[in-house]
Amino acid sequence: MADRGERAATGRALAMLAPAYLWLLFAVFLPLAAMAWFSLLSDLPLRGREWHLTLANYRAFLDSPAYPALLWKSLRIAAVVTLLCLVAGFPCALVLARVIRGRSREALLLLVILPFWSNALVRVFSWTILLRPGGVLDAALSAVLPGEVRLGLAFTETAVVIGLVHSYVPYVILTAYLALQAIDQSLIEAARALGAGRLRILRRILLPLALPGLIAGAVLVFVPVAGSFMEPRLLGGRMGTTFGTVIEDQFVAVFNWPLGAALSFILLAVVLGILAAASPALRRSLG
Amino acid sequence: MSAAPLALSGRLWLGLMLVFLYAPILVMAAMSLNASPFYQLPFEASTRWYAKLWTNREILAAAWRSVWIALAVAAIATLIGSMAAIALWRHAVPGRRLLQALLFPPIAVPWLITGTAMLVFFFGIGLDRGSPAVILGHVALALPYVIVVVTARLQGFDPTLEEAARSLGARPLTVTLRITLPFLAPGIVAAALFAFAVSFDQFVVSYFLARPGDTTLPVLIYTAIRKGFTPEINAISTIVILVSMVLMLLVARLARFGGER
Amino acid sequence: MSGVSVSGLVKAWGPVRALDGLTLDFPEGSFFGLLGPSGSGKTTLLRAIAGFVTPDAGTVRIGGQSVDGVPVERREIGMVFQSYALFPHMTVAGNLSFGLEVRRVPARERARRIDEALALVRLEGFGGRRPAELSGGQRQRVAMARAIVTRPRVLLLDEPLSALDRGLRTEMQIELRRIQREVGITAIFVTHDQEEALTLSDRIGILREGRLVREGPPRAVWDDPGDAFTARFLGAANLFTGTPEPGGLRLASGALLAGPPGRTTGCLAVRPEAMALSPVEPGAPNALPGRIAALVFAGATVTALVEAAGQQARVTGAPSAFEGLAEGQPVWLAWPPGRAAWVAPDRPGVATGK
Repeated sequence: MADRGERAATGRALAMLAPAYLWLLFAVFLPLAAMAWFSLLSDLPLRGREWHLTLANYRAFLDSPAYPALLWKSLRIAAVVTLLCLVAGFPCALVLARVIRGRSREALLLLVILPFWSNALVRVFSWTILLRPGGVLDAALSAVLPGEVRLGLAFTETAVVIGLVHSYVPYVILTAYLALQAIDQSLIEAARALGAGRLRILRRILLPLALPGLIAGAVLVFVPVAGSFMEPRLLGGRMGTTFGTVIEDQFVAVFNWPLGAALSFILLAVVLGILAAASPALRRSLG
Repeated sequence: MSAAPLALSGRLWLGLMLVFLYAPILVMAAMSLNASPFYQLPFEASTRWYAKLWTNREILAAAWRSVWIALAVAAIATLIGSMAAIALWRHAVPGRRLLQALLFPPIAVPWLITGTAMLVFFFGIGLDRGSPAVILGHVALALPYVIVVVTARLQGFDPTLEEAARSLGARPLTVTLRITLPFLAPGIVAAALFAFAVSFDQFVVSYFLARPGDTTLPVLIYTAIRKGFTPEINAISTIVILVSMVLMLLVARLARFGGER
Repeated sequence: MSGVSVSGLVKAWGPVRALDGLTLDFPEGSFFGLLGPSGSGKTTLLRAIAGFVTPDAGTVRIGGQSVDGVPVERREIGMVFQSYALFPHMTVAGNLSFGLEVRRVPARERARRIDEALALVRLEGFGGRRPAELSGGQRQRVAMARAIVTRPRVLLLDEPLSALDRGLRTEMQIELRRIQREVGITAIFVTHDQEEALTLSDRIGILREGRLVREGPPRAVWDDPGDAFTARFLGAANLFTGTPEPGGLRLASGALLAGPPGRTTGCLAVRPEAMALSPVEPGAPNALPGRIAALVFAGATVTALVEAAGQQARVTGAPSAFEGLAEGQPVWLAWPPGRAAWVAPDRPGVATGK
């Protein structure tokens, strides 16, 4: 049905889209496909090396008790971090969306999000300064409390969790804020007119309506945290071995790329599963 | 009203959250001005670590590399991303929903996976590690953000402005240059700053794609932290976070990011 | 300045034919109003003349020459948009200058013509303002000035006044008319507001489902709408169906309604304001007994709904004409035969707009 003019316009549009999408194809989608293939190799396909297709890398994951345990540990840390982010972030979003008004709201929101968009590595580094034994936090607490305080948080799983919550809580606040802000004020007025108190309004109106936004925020925290390796490495020390650091090691220390690719691919499968399960909520809240 | 105590405790919680978010960064900044190399208190102000930065060749080289890579990424991602955003907005392209959905994986898939996948693929096609590979990867990560920011600006653009210009005798190219682009300018500048920040702050992908020895600033900082502290790292980290915060403030100003409208 | 004509225009959007073999002449120098319900194809027609829509078949001529295949920017048209589409990043003068710059008009000549155009729309001294600093009526004037400053061959207006509130709209109708006369340009405008079309136009065309159903001077179309659809779409009309006879229309009830002389086919349409009510039988040739079902007060007028001849008729008039009448009361309905019009009945199975 499309006439010549419309066909030409579609052609122009495709020409304008091509560079961006070819770039994504070349730098994201083909690499992900390549990794799937790499995970099936017995060795790096370098000159002079023998290699063949095998499922051995995946079997290595199942045979060793360490890998599933580390994957489980990564997912557990991700779940704890996500939960803490929700618990800590939702009240902030609620206050921003429903209590604070006008210009100060905009400024505060920006202040909350700003760290999220600034350098993640440096922020994790700043926690190492704070938490190290005899570091700033210990010194500050010793000054206030009687005696010499040693929190002993450095290089523990708790330190990893703190650093990750610090990294991702702004994301939850932002998504929850956007969801809460979109709720029609007249719904709340209607609920009040029907005699509902503040807590009932929160439980029966605000929470259910903001739920898709909260789920979206939770997923967008859970997924990157499950794949994190820099934060556990810097804050966890020897306690910070996670599935992510094991993958990192395969690529930069052990040079067993096929195994690394298989582990990456297993993580990707888990991540895609979670994204797919949450996709209705993601679609609704991110439009 | 029972509202007051609830609202008050809410504000208090928000205040605590801001302390939690900013305290470590401020402590780090303060320590970068502390004369002691071992974070010893009492605090003694000094700018010696900043001065030492200028003599640290490795850091200077990495900083310079980070900046020009970020500039290249910003230029490429803004150009091809804006083109894609305009095309997606202006034309009823077949499969538009799918094209929009394809922007999601580069953001949502953990960088560890994307980064290692890029390493494997680039190695497989003989590109190997190095700055070209880093730029390839960073542009892919920045593209979705550029498209989102430019699209947000386009939402406010009335397409009849383009029709009006054509009815006044302007050719399509003139319309784009004199009507569409001037309107989009703030969005495009915001997108460029955003892309610069994505690249400048990117650690994970650079870590896998940069050649050891010619790394970017975040990778250098990471290796330095793992090897053991040097006080200059405090100083350069403070500079890095200042740069990235200022960049994002500019983006927020230009694109009204995260705020209403 | 030139006339415009379209012939055999067809444009389909999927299964929907927005234009269905439309042929129409817009005489040189006329102010032509295109009227029709939504989806009748009036906007598609305007955009096909402008060149934003490429017809599947048919030809558009401006000044006698075909403009098929000529892109919008080379058609030498001026267009006023519903949203005005003023460039927000340019001043008023910048908006006016744009079309002249594109035509490479020298700077001095540009300045002179911008001043001239601003004077024409009575916005002298507004050149330095931004569109955001103007009121709705002022924006409308700038849009008009911008469209004519390039001296186009034809002026196209897409619902030009619909964004204004009621009082301002009436004022701008008069202004638009004045400006068009002064410039002497052929103007074609699309509207869904029939009153606006009747007020502004030299000629109006009624569109329905992509076809032209009636065209002519507003008064002629009003008095002799031609078919039932036009009669009802333009204003309101009471339609009486029956068997046409040489003397008039024989209703099923046996009563004979006298119609205007000449053609005696189809059904009779009578405007509500042409009818009168009386409590006793009038001595007129057209009188039907009935009963008042409802009286509706609307300020300047009152409308009565009257059950007569097995249907409901609307009668509109000044409130004084309804004094002493009450709902439920038996009345006589009467009108002069000359105020009725013979119209073609609705095509069966076709829903009528409005």
